Amino acid sequence: MAKMKFNFHPPLAITLLILGFFVFVPMISAFEYSIRTPIEGGYGWNNYLWAIREEEFLYYILRSMWLAGITVIITLFVLVPTLTWIHLSNSKVRGLIDGLSLLPLVIPVVAFAVGAQISFPDFVQNTVLELPFLYFVLALPYAYRALDIGLNAIPLKTITEAARSSGANWLRTITTVIIPVIRGSVMATIALTFALSLGEFTLTVLLHWDTFPTWVTFVAQENILGAIAISMMSLIIPFLILTIITLFVPERSTQGRK
Amino acid sequence: MTLKVIEEGAPTRGRAFLTSCIKNFLPAAPLLLIVGFFFLFPIARLIYVSFLSNENTFTIDNFVTATQEPYRTGFLNSIKIGLFSAAIAAFPGAIAAYFIETRGSSKLRRTIAVMSGVLANTGGIPLAFMFYAALGIQGQLTKILKFFGWDLYAGTFSLGSFMGLLVVYLYFQLPLMVIVFSPAIVSLRREWSEAARNLGASQLNYWIRIGIPLLFPSFIASFLLLFASGFSAYATANALTVGNLPLTPLQIGGLLDGNVSAAQLNLGKALGVVMILISACAVIPYLAIQRRSARWQK
Repeated sequence: MAKMKFNFHPPLAITLLILGFFVFVPMISAFEYSIRTPIEGGYGWNNYLWAIREEEFLYYILRSMWLAGITVIITLFVLVPTLTWIHLSNSKVRGLIDGLSLLPLVIPVVAFAVGAQISFPDFVQNTVLELPFLYFVLALPYAYRALDIGLNAIPLKTITEAARSSGANWLRTITTVIIPVIRGSVMATIALTFALSLGEFTLTVLLHWDTFPTWVTFVAQENILGAIAISMMSLIIPFLILTIITLFVPERSTQGRK
Repeated sequence: MTLKVIEEGAPTRGRAFLTSCIKNFLPAAPLLLIVGFFFLFPIARLIYVSFLSNENTFTIDNFVTATQEPYRTGFLNSIKIGLFSAAIAAFPGAIAAYFIETRGSSKLRRTIAVMSGVLANTGGIPLAFMFYAALGIQGQLTKILKFFGWDLYAGTFSLGSFMGLLVVYLYFQLPLMVIVFSPAIVSLRREWSEAARNLGASQLNYWIRIGIPLLFPSFIASFLLLFASGFSAYATANALTVGNLPLTPLQIGGLLDGNVSAAQLNLGKALGVVMILISACAVIPYLAIQRRSARWQK
């Protein structure tokens, strides 16, 4: 690999230094607490080991992961075909759907939670599967925009016509042609939907569901250092997932049009 | 002949209308159904129920109570924390976004983008822990500051107070500013600054006449979005305060959980509707400005 060229820019360096200070001082302070071992004195990984050995740890982390996974699947299944169609047909509903997709930004999550609690029939409220649909709504403004930018940047009509006249049906066109072409946007959509679902707290707790983020609140009451260790993990895990996703996407496609 | 056209034209047009309806809406049906059922329906119901009394008759009493104490203070505090946290984060965030986008390497920009995405979503207990560890009574930074002669806790400061919450909110507001303001900076074209320089403009001239006027609407828009984010934040306030600071999201949460009881069953819904209205006052101008600047940000 070519060696990265490093240009030193004083204003950039100062900016990064100040931001870094603000971001990392609280993080490192919490990390220092999380590796304390009050009984033996000194430092160790005891709190992390304690957390991982807890029975609920794996249960809740897997639960949050699969809920986030379903949210991602719903997002892609619904948005990619719909947006492709909107871009191709230039239909009159475009304005309506553009507006609708931004509407969740207007509604504070707390108000949305109250509305959700008083309106869904029991069969919806009794299943945890309501959460992915609600997470989908929360992530919609961001997911929609990410995919919209991706589709705007490619000659969609030409590509689709080429695929269609080569004999591909619509399903095949979308899965094997359009999605790979806009993979940068698709990956960005996956990353942000996944991260948002994984960390969602307000809606989940107000609708009385338990996921990884709400479980941390519960643990904090019995083992504070263990809870800090879990909190650190809850920051690091999405960060790693997002980094992996973004670094594996070729740069050109993540930049959109330029 | 005209008669024939009319006779045959009308039904054709009717059918055309039907097919165009199907063509226009059917492919969007899954999205419209999900958004309709899981989003528009709850919001519509929230608004409807907020006008119901305990006996399910129409009333505006819920809204009258929502504007009285202690809910009035709750709204004022929430608006204040939204405004202050946005005002403090907006300018440094914009400057940071500028240097990162214009001077940073592409690797750095992508790393910052990922980090901002994660940090802007932090909140609740993890964020509270980080700040207890740094700025709590036994916090590392508190000790360092004390060593240099600044005792943070000499006055009335605590992380659960208004000032404390404000500092903590900056932790997600700053990255959010970097996220929402960066696109505006990316779309400032180098040609414009070169053209200005060729015409004899100084750096200062360029900024006063071109750069700032172009970026200003996006700056205001970002500020409005930050306000909405600070105004409606729930998880962090819930983790840090212990009922000492009235904030509307917490009051709604309390009513929803049944921890707090009110004479009016639907008071929480009315508070929610007022929150939506206040938030809409910020987000709708934000969206309008974004749409307008999208014209040249291509």
